[in-house]
Amino acid sequence: MGLLSPWFLIGLAGLGVPIFVHLLRRHVTILRPVSSLMFFERGVQSSTRHRRLKYLLLFALRTALLLLLVFAFANPFIRRPASTANGHMHLIVLDNSFSMRAGTRFPDAKQQAITLLAAKPHDARAQIIALGGQLQILTQPISDEAQLRSALEGIQPGDGRANFGELGRVVRSLTETVHSPIDLHLFSDMQRSAMPGNFADMVLPPNVKLFLHPLAEGAIVPNWTVESVDAPADLSDPKDPKRSRVHAVIAGFGTPAATKTVSLVVNNKTISTRKVDIPANGRASVDFAPLAVDHGFNRCAVKIDAGDAFPADDISVFAVRWPDPERVLFVHADGDTRSATYFAAALAAVSKGAFLLQSTPSEQTTDIDPSRFAFVVLSDSIALPSLFERALSQYVMKGGGVLIALGTRAQRHAPIPLWGAAVQDDHNYARAGSAATLGPIDFTHPVLLQTQPQQANNSSGGWGEVRVFYAAVVNPEQSRVAARLSDGTPFLLDKKLGEGHVLLLTSGLDNLTNDLPLHPVFVSFVDHATEYLSGAQRMNGSTLVGSFVQLRSEAEPVGTVSNSEVIDPDGHRPLSLNEARTAQTFRLTRAGFYQIRFANGRDAVIGVNPDRRESDLEPLPKDVQQLWTGSSGNETSQNPGTAVAEDKYQSTSIWWYVMLFALVAALAELALASGYMGTQREDA
Amino acid sequence: MQRLLAPEVLASISSLDLLAKTVVDGFVAGLHRSPDFGFSQEFAEYRAYTPGDDLRHIDWNLFARTERCYLKRYRGETNSQLTVLLDASNSMQYTSGPPSKMDYARYLAAALFYLSIHNQRDAAGLIVFDEDVREYIRPSTRPGQLARLFAGLEQTAPQARTNFAKPLQHFQNALHRRGIAIVISDFYEKPEIIIKDIASLRFRGNEVILFHILDPQEIRPAMKASALLVDLETDQRIEVIPEYTRTAYRDRIDAHIEQLRSLARGAGMDYQLLVTDQPLDRALREYLTLRLAGD
Repeated sequence: MGLLSPWFLIGLAGLGVPIFVHLLRRHVTILRPVSSLMFFERGVQSSTRHRRLKYLLLFALRTALLLLLVFAFANPFIRRPASTANGHMHLIVLDNSFSMRAGTRFPDAKQQAITLLAAKPHDARAQIIALGGQLQILTQPISDEAQLRSALEGIQPGDGRANFGELGRVVRSLTETVHSPIDLHLFSDMQRSAMPGNFADMVLPPNVKLFLHPLAEGAIVPNWTVESVDAPADLSDPKDPKRSRVHAVIAGFGTPAATKTVSLVVNNKTISTRKVDIPANGRASVDFAPLAVDHGFNRCAVKIDAGDAFPADDISVFAVRWPDPERVLFVHADGDTRSATYFAAALAAVSKGAFLLQSTPSEQTTDIDPSRFAFVVLSDSIALPSLFERALSQYVMKGGGVLIALGTRAQRHAPIPLWGAAVQDDHNYARAGSAATLGPIDFTHPVLLQTQPQQANNSSGGWGEVRVFYAAVVNPEQSRVAARLSDGTPFLLDKKLGEGHVLLLTSGLDNLTNDLPLHPVFVSFVDHATEYLSGAQRMNGSTLVGSFVQLRSEAEPVGTVSNSEVIDPDGHRPLSLNEARTAQTFRLTRAGFYQIRFANGRDAVIGVNPDRRESDLEPLPKDVQQLWTGSSGNETSQNPGTAVAEDKYQSTSIWWYVMLFALVAALAELALASGYMGTQREDA
Repeated sequence: MQRLLAPEVLASISSLDLLAKTVVDGFVAGLHRSPDFGFSQEFAEYRAYTPGDDLRHIDWNLFARTERCYLKRYRGETNSQLTVLLDASNSMQYTSGPPSKMDYARYLAAALFYLSIHNQRDAAGLIVFDEDVREYIRPSTRPGQLARLFAGLEQTAPQARTNFAKPLQHFQNALHRRGIAIVISDFYEKPEIIIKDIASLRFRGNEVILFHILDPQEIRPAMKASALLVDLETDQRIEVIPEYTRTAYRDRIDAHIEQLRSLARGAGMDYQLLVTDQPLDRALREYLTLRLAGD
């Protein structure tokens, strides 16, 4: 405690006034003559004692009033811990991104954070946030040190990527509800790659004071990493020299030129090793071919014997699937052999043995179980046995795919299986003398995505040369129209039923109602329709930490039970039973292999790798750090070691409270003095 | 005119003569407006002449008409003798504001003298006393008596203590005919002693009136704080707290007044408490009531 204006203590000399009035000045008794004392009685002792007692209380009040006034003008202050003095809240942000695994960065950062937490004033509030990938707010603003310490110690190094822009966004949203001053302590390696493209995203609100605690200072740490791996997700023929190969890029950050050994590991077996010369601070690529894999899912990795301080990024994992051949059920009308021929030829061209076509007339489908097929094609087969139609409906609802091609047998008003509607009309363009062509095409549809004009030779991706002589007219409600004819008649429609899809081609596949099977675009169409309907349009064999996978297409209808399952790299199931029923997406937060069973019953193995920007360990330049801290509540960057000590205590003026006490003393003095000196009213 | 009888107004009049004239004229004028009092020096009765009667009182006009001698009698001719006994002890100089008890007593005595001599043609005399007789003016109706009485009043200054026994003894020795004796004092003595000393005045058929002069502060003293009180007669000092003056003192002074009033009436005397902030008419009315009753 101290005084900001001690020279005002001269006013204490004024204390002499009440001392003189009450203690030094002699009490003078006024003589009062009376005619006679015969009716009076003496009352000396009690009167004097009572008077002096009252005057001593008045003297104390007056002295206190003068003392408090002088004290208030001297502007007293007390030194209080900074956080409690002005209600500061500590926001402790610990970076647990992938780069913090380098060396002893993460243990050091955690230790520093725990030290800061221990130095925190007992009643100051704090909040713990983990900055790695998705920002995690681990505690509410509390002052319970045990809980805060427990939250801090519970943070483990992650595989995500730090983003200071995300931190700024979260803190800005946090300050919308917390208006008190916030001391933000960031324990991070301050990677340059964590900086967002726009510096404004990092700027913190005015009431947030940023304290940086950088872990990595000094020279840039050299680091080699497997920057990227290009490998096929599905490999139907491992001996195919074109597809059975792995292309890896090795990158060095702050590294000298060096020769490194790169290995290809498949199912924990090193099957190939290459020597690669990496230029200084540059990149080099290496190819492994052929890729010898087994049937099913293969867990592969490209490793480098970097020998640097950051071994965690010396490996990049990916999954390669060598699937068994799957069968495709092709249901055709009795006597129709052309459509199956065309479709089988196209399927064989694109699947390279991955799919085998099983053709059967519609009348013989009664005992066929559709679930044993990758997908089903109904070629001009409107009339189906009811058992098969019901089984087909359940098959689609569980995630199966069906391609329906309407030929000339689709008479007017005939119900379309699975579609829930009938053929409204039909257009026979051949009779009209001119064939129809395709008009607007939705190239964003997965089936047509790879045939868009930029990737084809002509402007319509090959679809423009297709001539359509017959097309059925179908109500497009509740379906997506992927392509229309030139007169607006829907040509290709997509309807979602449960987890599955139904593609409806309003013309046939037999080269009679159109000439589509004769065009190269038909092969591409069959290829993508096969992927789309079979669910083989799965994700790549590798992805990045923090990305999402879609477990099911939409929220589950009531009563339908189709669980999805996720097994993380440690073999744990991160989804609860309820989440397994309802979760639509799942965030991949760990590096390694995830085994996923989707709601439609299909399986996948995904290799998840950290974002390679985390491998660039170059920290933010000092000037940028100073600019960041300067843009927050403080003006200059602080030394992390001394910042806490300097602001540990803060002077808080208490003159206002002293003046409040003076006011109370003045009121008490007023009341007491008026009681002594007021005119006493005579009784009647 | 009643306004002129207020003590604070009278205090501004320096001449006792003028003061007495003002009081009495105003008082008498006020009586004329009252139906209860028909006092004046008007004709009272005719009485047949008997030898020895003063020839100056024969109504010669009636003799001329009837050839019989009748005496014309007026009320004023039933004359009396007024003696004022004025206490001039030190206690009478107490005042909480003009006039003091002594001045108030002077005004009262002057007004009584004026009323008695000038209006009633009674003989009036004065005895000023404290513990002894300090001034004695024999009752008389001679010209200049009023001036002598006023001079005696003006020369009176409070001093010494009060003692009723000695001046009353002197009064009894000088009294040769019955009349009205008025005692003006603050009566700071035990009521039994006062009545015992004064009761002897009644023995020769005198009518006795006690005018008890007190200051308002003596009846209801207002003390804000404890004070050191000094007795004007004995110079004794005691410290008194305000609480006492608000409670016990008032009870005691009230009991004293009531006892004095009771004993005085029991002894056949009239008693009148006069507070110095009250007009003098009450005292004059008391005197006249007694005067008329004596006729």
